[in-house]
Amino acid sequence: MNRRYLPGPGILISVGAVVAAVLLGIVLIALIGVSIGDALDAFVDGTIGSAYAIAASVNRSVVFALVGIGFVFANRANLTNVGGEGQIALGGIAATAVALYGHVAELPLGLSFALPMLAAVAAGALWGGLAGILKTRAGTNEVISTLLLSFIAVWLLYWCVQSNALLRQPMTNSATLPESLEIPDLTKLPLVTADPSLPLNIGLPLTLLIAVIVAMFLTRGTVGLRLRAIGLNPLAARRAGIATERYAVAAMLMAGGLGGLAGALMLQGDQYVLKDGFSSGYGFDGLVVGLLARGSVTGVIASALLFGFLRSGGISMELQAGVPSAVVRIIQGIIVVALAGAVYWIDRRGTSR
Amino acid sequence: MISAESAAVFIGSSIRLATPLLMGGIGELVSERAGVLNMSVEGMMLTGAFAGAVGSWATGQPILGLAFGLLAVLPVALLQAWLSNTLRANQIVSGIGINILVLGATTLGYREIFGERSSDEIPGFGKWAPPFLGDIPVFGQAVFLQVWIVYLGLAIAIGTALVLRFTAIGLAVHAAGMEPRAVDKSGLSVRGIRYGAVTFTGLMSALGGTFLSIGDIHTFTEGMTRGAGYLAIAAVIFGNWRIGRTIGACLLFGAATALQFQLPAMGVDIPNALLIMLPYLLAFLAVAGLVGRQSAPASLTVPW
Repeated sequence: MNRRYLPGPGILISVGAVVAAVLLGIVLIALIGVSIGDALDAFVDGTIGSAYAIAASVNRSVVFALVGIGFVFANRANLTNVGGEGQIALGGIAATAVALYGHVAELPLGLSFALPMLAAVAAGALWGGLAGILKTRAGTNEVISTLLLSFIAVWLLYWCVQSNALLRQPMTNSATLPESLEIPDLTKLPLVTADPSLPLNIGLPLTLLIAVIVAMFLTRGTVGLRLRAIGLNPLAARRAGIATERYAVAAMLMAGGLGGLAGALMLQGDQYVLKDGFSSGYGFDGLVVGLLARGSVTGVIASALLFGFLRSGGISMELQAGVPSAVVRIIQGIIVVALAGAVYWIDRRGTSR
Repeated sequence: MISAESAAVFIGSSIRLATPLLMGGIGELVSERAGVLNMSVEGMMLTGAFAGAVGSWATGQPILGLAFGLLAVLPVALLQAWLSNTLRANQIVSGIGINILVLGATTLGYREIFGERSSDEIPGFGKWAPPFLGDIPVFGQAVFLQVWIVYLGLAIAIGTALVLRFTAIGLAVHAAGMEPRAVDKSGLSVRGIRYGAVTFTGLMSALGGTFLSIGDIHTFTEGMTRGAGYLAIAAVIFGNWRIGRTIGACLLFGAATALQFQLPAMGVDIPNALLIMLPYLLAFLAVAGLVGRQSAPASLTVPW
């Protein structure tokens, strides 16, 4: 049984795993012959070196946070959503389709950018909900189904940007890239400040709002209690009159919807065109963020910031200092393995299973 | 009209593409029957593919590459077994962690070891056809001329089926997944059986991985397994934890992958993406319960 409600040892172990993994990453950087000083300089430049770098890192963190919040929410019902990658891809497809061909650009009241986001939420929720329905109807393990749905979604996206009948931009010459048109300016996310050197978009306040609402749901409301009851003992929860299947599907809808929203933020806040490789591992990173948080929304925010800055720093280290981005991946892998294994020591303090 | 030649090529490439799935699938089947779900099949295959390529490239001997691949997977398999059994970690989460770790480590290792020489051909295995079968007109060469690992894989699959069905080892594996308490009472070690089963998964997955790199295409690319490990797990579910049906599922996924190359060659205009997606789509439909009621081992993913 996870003693998630006791944050003490959990947080210590999370922090310990991260520190150990980062130290190992530094050793790796030294082993491959890159000067640690150069690597650290590049890391600092890419993360906190400028207002622009900070904003870019925060925008990344926001994407991870959304996927992570969805993960934590579903995980409360003991459902493991590993489909963030596919949910982001579907969100990206839906947001692109609506932004480009939904005639939304002229709409007032912010609908021009809100409608593509809503479409993305719906598409992601569909993808997550599908896994939830299968779980309750056919008993399909949601890990396998969300994972397979991710592969399917990634290739769907590839199909969309390769096919002229779908989202590929009109071919004007043979060099036209297999990607969508750029979305209209009015469908791009507005910035929080008017200052373009600090391009923080409205994804940040939106995500913080969602985080607060979800945290309240999970800790204060009956919803959180029921989800936890389902997670701990579905049979007992059903006896107690909880509609376990409806909650399970709803939790996956929620997780998927947040994944879809993450896709919309990536498209409308950063990339503006849909192309192959759009989701670029953000869904899996978001999953790790969710794991790292050990069930707490605050934990999600903290680890999302860590991963957002880690990823920015990783990209910068690759470009400026020639450190392969695989080093960051190794660090992430070690963190996940360490945390998975560490549950033993946390649980041993309480009653054994 | 489909000619006999193209049908033969299609069957031959289906078998070839099914082979890595088959090996990973057989390994995973044994482990799941013993009660351990290894999401890390993907990482184990990638380890085998990478270490096999490195070993073969460094020594010039593909057989040493194969041995190297099998050796290199042992720490990965033992890590998974330790996490799932001794540490009682969440088997799914720990497996995914191992996959991320292996993907990073092999990508980094590949860049560091091969670097600019990445276009070098890596020595790989030759092909072989069994006597008589290879002489059948039209089909002989197209279907049966395969890297010998394909035949090794088939032999292991049959051997595994026999061991599972007729021996005390098979019974112990089955019982460890269904009634671990009874196994424990009988004086056998549940953990011992499960460690052994996960190690078997590792060796089989690595065999499948080395087949990918030095058997089939004679090179290594970053993350070259591209989800084959997950397909192998899906094949076990599709196969309802029975070996015959699991093998059938692997062949089906192999055939779906082969269509990618076959249909365009026949002039059929189907989006490439749809064909690449097809095995995953089939696997998804399979796990979605379109193949009937599933009967997983009772103690699957429950640590002892």
